[in-house]
Formats: sequence, C-alpha cells, structure tokens
Amino acid sequence: MSYALTEEQQLIQQSAREFTREYIEPIATEMDRTGIHPSAVVQQMAEHDFLGLYLPEEFGGTEAGYLSYVLIIEEISRMSGAVASILINHASLAAYTMYRFGSAVQKQECLPALCSGEKLAAFALTEPGAAPGVGSHKVIATKEGDHYVLNGHKCYVANGGVADIYVVFALTNPEAGAKGMSAFIVDAKAAGLSIQRTIGKMGLRGCQSAELIFENVMVPQSNLLGAAGAGMKIVKEAQLVASVAEGAQVVGIAQAAMEDAVKYGKQRVQFGRPIAAFPAIQTMLAEMATHIHIARLAVYDAASLIEKGEDFMKEAAMVKLFTGRIGQSALIDVIQIEGGYGYSQEMIASRFYRDIKGAVITESSAAFPEKVIADDLLA
Amino acid sequence: MADMTLTHEQQKLQALAREFTAKHIIPVASEWDEKGEFHKFILEEVKNIGLHCMAVPKEYGGPGCDSVSQSVVMEQFGYGCCAFATTLGGNGLSSYPLAIAGTDEQKQLYYGRLVAGGMGGFALTEPGAGSDAGSCATTAKLDGDKWVLNGTKCFATTCGVANIMVVFASTDPSKGVKGLSAFIVEKERDGFSVGAVEHKMGIRSSNTVELLLKNVRIPKNHLLGNEGEGMKIAMKTLDMARPIVASMAVGVAQRALDAAVAFAKAYLDVNGKPIGMQQAVSFKLADMAIQVEAARQLVRNALRLKDAGVPYTKEAAIAKTFATDTAMQVSADAVGLMGNYGYSKDSFVEKLMRDAKVTQIYEGTNQVQRIVIAGQLLR
Repeated sequence: MSYALTEEQQLIQQSAREFTREYIEPIATEMDRTGIHPSAVVQQMAEHDFLGLYLPEEFGGTEAGYLSYVLIIEEISRMSGAVASILINHASLAAYTMYRFGSAVQKQECLPALCSGEKLAAFALTEPGAAPGVGSHKVIATKEGDHYVLNGHKCYVANGGVADIYVVFALTNPEAGAKGMSAFIVDAKAAGLSIQRTIGKMGLRGCQSAELIFENVMVPQSNLLGAAGAGMKIVKEAQLVASVAEGAQVVGIAQAAMEDAVKYGKQRVQFGRPIAAFPAIQTMLAEMATHIHIARLAVYDAASLIEKGEDFMKEAAMVKLFTGRIGQSALIDVIQIEGGYGYSQEMIASRFYRDIKGAVITESSAAFPEKVIADDLLA
Repeated sequence: MADMTLTHEQQKLQALAREFTAKHIIPVASEWDEKGEFHKFILEEVKNIGLHCMAVPKEYGGPGCDSVSQSVVMEQFGYGCCAFATTLGGNGLSSYPLAIAGTDEQKQLYYGRLVAGGMGGFALTEPGAGSDAGSCATTAKLDGDKWVLNGTKCFATTCGVANIMVVFASTDPSKGVKGLSAFIVEKERDGFSVGAVEHKMGIRSSNTVELLLKNVRIPKNHLLGNEGEGMKIAMKTLDMARPIVASMAVGVAQRALDAAVAFAKAYLDVNGKPIGMQQAVSFKLADMAIQVEAARQLVRNALRLKDAGVPYTKEAAIAKTFATDTAMQVSADAVGLMGNYGYSKDSFVEKLMRDAKVTQIYEGTNQVQRIVIAGQLLR
C-alpha cells in the first residue's frame, strides 16, 4: 500500500481496528443470526467520535476528514458490513444531507446531536413498489399554512425504527415528477409517523430495515432541506458521497474474505498439497487482490476529493461501478475456493457473501454510476 | 408456450413438471428455506406423478425417461426450488452407478427401493477428499462373505433421509485412486449412522449430512463393478449427473430472469414509466436472457449426445460450468436490478442468489470441470 496516509489517518485507522476487535468481533455472528440493532456498539462508536468524524467542529464533529472516515468504515467492514451500514446511513446519507443542504439553523439544531450519538439518523427514500428507482414516490407533502403534511409509505429504510431523526423525501409537487421532490427533516416522534414492520434481508443483518408509515405527519416548513423541488439533486449528491463510503465497505469485506480464503487455501490439502499451491486458486487470489488494491486506491482518491471540497461525482460513481463488480466477484471466488466449507452457514465467508451484495446495490437511478460518469464525459 | 425443440412427449412432461412446480413447490419454497428443514411432503407429492425416480428404466418399474426429458423436468424443479431439485437430482445421481456397473440383481434391489418411494444417496466426499476423491480414507475390507466398511463421509446429499445409497470406500489404500471401490449400502445396516447435519447458506431445505460407518457389514455382492473401479464409476456417474445439475441451474437462472422482467415491467420510474423502458435496465435483461438461453441449449446439446450414445464428457462439463456460472451471474444481477426489494426477504431472488452459489461447487467444482474439459482437449 503506497497511498500516503498521514500520521493522524494511520492513528485513526489503528483505533478503528482496535475498536472493531473489542466491540464488534464478539457480537458480529450473533447479530447476523438475530438481526437485532446493536445499540451498544453505536454508543461506543459515538464515544470514539466515529459518528461525526468528518463533520466540522462547530457542529460537534471531529473534522478529521472524509478519508479518515472511510478508513474507519473499511476497518469496521472487515468484521461487520452491518455496523458499517448503520454508520454510512447515519453519517454519509442523513447527516451529510443536513450538513450540505441544511440552513445554518438546521445544522445548529440537528448536527451536534448526531455527532454526539444522542441521536441516530436515517435516510428515507425508497417506497414500496418504487424500488430501485426513486420514481413513483407515493409520499406526498401537502403545504398547509406554515407546515407540510406528509402521507405515504417508505420502505427498506436502513436504521428505520431505531433512528431518532429521518431525512424524508416527499413530493411537494406530484405533477412535476423528479422536479417535484423535496427533502425534509422529520423527528421520529412526530405524531402520525409509525413503523409498519421491520424487514428481513439476505445480509447486513443488524442494520435494521423498516417500513415507515406517514399519516398526516405535520412537518414545519422550517424543516424543508434546501429548496422545494431540490430533492433529486440532494439524493444524487448524498448517494454519491455514500458510494465512496460503501466502496470502503466493499473493500473491507472483500479484504477480510480474501484473507479468510488465503488461510483456508494454505490449510486445505488436496492432491497432496495445499490447494493454494494450484495456479487455478492462485489466479483467483491474485485477481481479487489486484481488484481490491485498485478499488482501495479509487476509494481513497474519491474520499480525498470530497475532503478537499473538489468535484467528486464522477470519481465517486467510478468507485460505485468498480467496487460493485469486483466486490461481488471476489466473494463468489472466495466461496469457490472454500467449497462446501465456505458455503456452510457457520463460516464467516458465507456471511461476507451475503453482506457484500447489500453493499454494492445501487438504490437510486439518480445515482446510476454509468449515467453519472457518462454525463460527466459528455458534458 | 410449448418448446418446439422438444418432442411431443417431452413437451407433455415439461407441462406436467411446470404445473407441479407452480402448485406444490413455489408456494412453500421460501418458508422451508427459512426453516432449513427437509421438505418431505413435496417428495410425497412428486411420487404421485411418478417423477421421483425418472432415471430408473421401465423394465425395473421406473418411468425410464430419456436424458432430455429428465433435464426438462429438473429445470422446472430448479425453477421452483433449487433445494428440492437437489434432492431429486441426488436421487437420480445415486442410481447412475447402477446403470453403469450394476448387475441385474443389484438393479432389482436398488431401483426397487427407489420405485417404492425410497430415497437414494451418493456418498463420495470426505473431510480430506473433496475434489481429490482419490484420497478416500473410508475403507472396505473383505471378511468372509461380507465387506466391512469403516470411515466418515461428509456433505452427503439426502443421506440423512435416504434408505439406500452408493458409498465409496477404498479396498486397497496403497493404490490410491485405483483402490477406490463403490458399494451399495442400505441404511438399516448395523454400524451405519448419520452424523452432523450441515447448516448451509443456501439450498437449505436439502438434506446434507455426515455419514458415520463403523464396522458396517454388507454382503459381498454389494460391490458395484470390480474392486478398484470406484473412480471410473464415480467419473461416469458425474458425467451423467452434470447436465442434470446444469438443468437445475438453468431453472434457477430462468426464475431470476422472470422475476427481474416482472419487476422491470411493474415498477415505475420518476416519470411514471416502467423501469424496463430504461436502456440501462432493458440491456441488462437482454444480457441475462442471452446467458440463460445459451446455457439451456448447451445442456440439451450434451444430453442429446448422451442419448445418441456418443461421447459427451467434455460437453457435459462445459454445460455444467456455463449453466452454473449463469445461475450465479443472473441471480446476482436480478438482486442488483431489484435493489433493496431484491435484497430483502420480501422477494425470493435473494434465495436464488444463495442457492445458485452451490451449483458452482457440487457435482465437481467448476475448477474440476476445467480439468475434465482440458483433459479432453489435450488428450
């Protein structure tokens, strides 16, 4: 690894590694089994300043930069993609949206509690029947005096049901389609907002997904994030910022899985020698190592652009596109190397296989990486 | 729609299997996947339509289906549930050694049990002998007119519920591969017991167990073929079984494609149009369809060669590799295309992606298939 991390970044990486060993490793397998939100781990992340790591000090953050933040995501993901997803939904999607598009007042009111861990945040975008396109939004926000009234359903909301605060996308002008979508800050305790159900999923179990119901939820006009109709632009930017963190998540999971396959390949003897001695196995390992290395560099580069405040959309989309492909193929190969053993539910490789798929899903067509990259090239 | 490349009889069988799958398999597949329990009751149903032992010849009371017919049925069962198809596929697999090396008396015994509704098993793999089947540590020693078997088998499909099976053991460990022999073992034999049940990431309602053989005494005439012919029998058996596994994989892939197509038609983008009208989505669906159709035709090609009585080892291995890689790719693509919905337990495509992975591993890993293919090329 030649990418020059500063001393501070290396220290943060080291502390995240120790954190993962101390707080996540003991619970990761059981959390996958039960799917229960690990609130104690989230509190520990708050105490370690992970929740507001890249946000400015004036809002309660640590101001350590986005690269430091993705280093933490990578380390956590080596043991639990689910905990990484909790952090990404909180910090990269919800908190970023407030920080980037919120008014001075909104930022002062919301961000310190998100940085301290007093509150957990979520990003409520997808609707039943609308996945994976952002379209056919059925949450409608109707203006009434100095309030908006929200009605509809949101589905597959990560941190749903355990979050204290939601960034909710709703149509303020249903006729205008994409241009009629707006973002709101909604308190989880708001009257009329309820949890319909939690949703089982293939992996990332422990990062709770829920369906939310909005029944005449009154949201003050002052909770509108950015301008009315700016929703789609917000979704795109927030998801691309999150893509870089998700890229780090993929790199972390794939790295841990590859190390597991290397360990297995050295121990497993067939035809009189460790299977790792066979060129067919070595080729798979060499390819995944190369892919992971390149992906990591791309993640760090995009994170640096975000940190410096430079244009990052294309590079973030490239991270999404590349990590989406290589992450999945790495896990398909890791299970292939470990064979029937890796396929067993009890083995960590099978959890990584299920988890990585969740990390590479593109939820919004607004942030389809090919589209973002091509738009940039053709501009 | 009738498949005109099939004979009239094959079309009828396909329709029967399709109807059975829709009525008896699809409605319960997810529930039994969740429980991870063997679906005995579907097995009872399949006996009612006489498709539980398709490979057993007519003169022994079976339906004596040709290979393409077996494939057509197994594709439908794979479409419904890969775990159930694996159970039936294992049943067929276990009977192939009889077709290859069985005496009339042995066939009467073995086929008789299957026709009567019993399940067959095939126990080749051991903790130390996976791809390297020749490193078999289970031994068979002749003691008077009985063979005495000792050892442990693992990843044995259906063997926890089978009542007759083909077990591989070494009659002369000093000869390695050439000392391997195949035996018929009934479950009621003293010393035969079922060990640990495997909890798997996918095909969870298929029964996978460890077999413990402690001084299991079986009649001398339970040896299939001659001493030392075990490897040859196993290889020919796997030649026969590979296109069947490939057929199941085509079924899994077709199901994933159908789910993705239905989703692309039903779900609307932000402008109120089905997402299938987006070229990024429609091209992906086309790519998936190309793979599924190519896989299906490769499988049928291999089986037509087999039914014509000409060599088909290479074609069977090619079909197995391509079809199972297709199941893997297309199921993963379907989850990706369907986003958080596809990743959740609200949909069944995440099950397809968990199930598909094992098809690249069992019946000879796709690396072993390459050894077989290259062996034919470089002869």
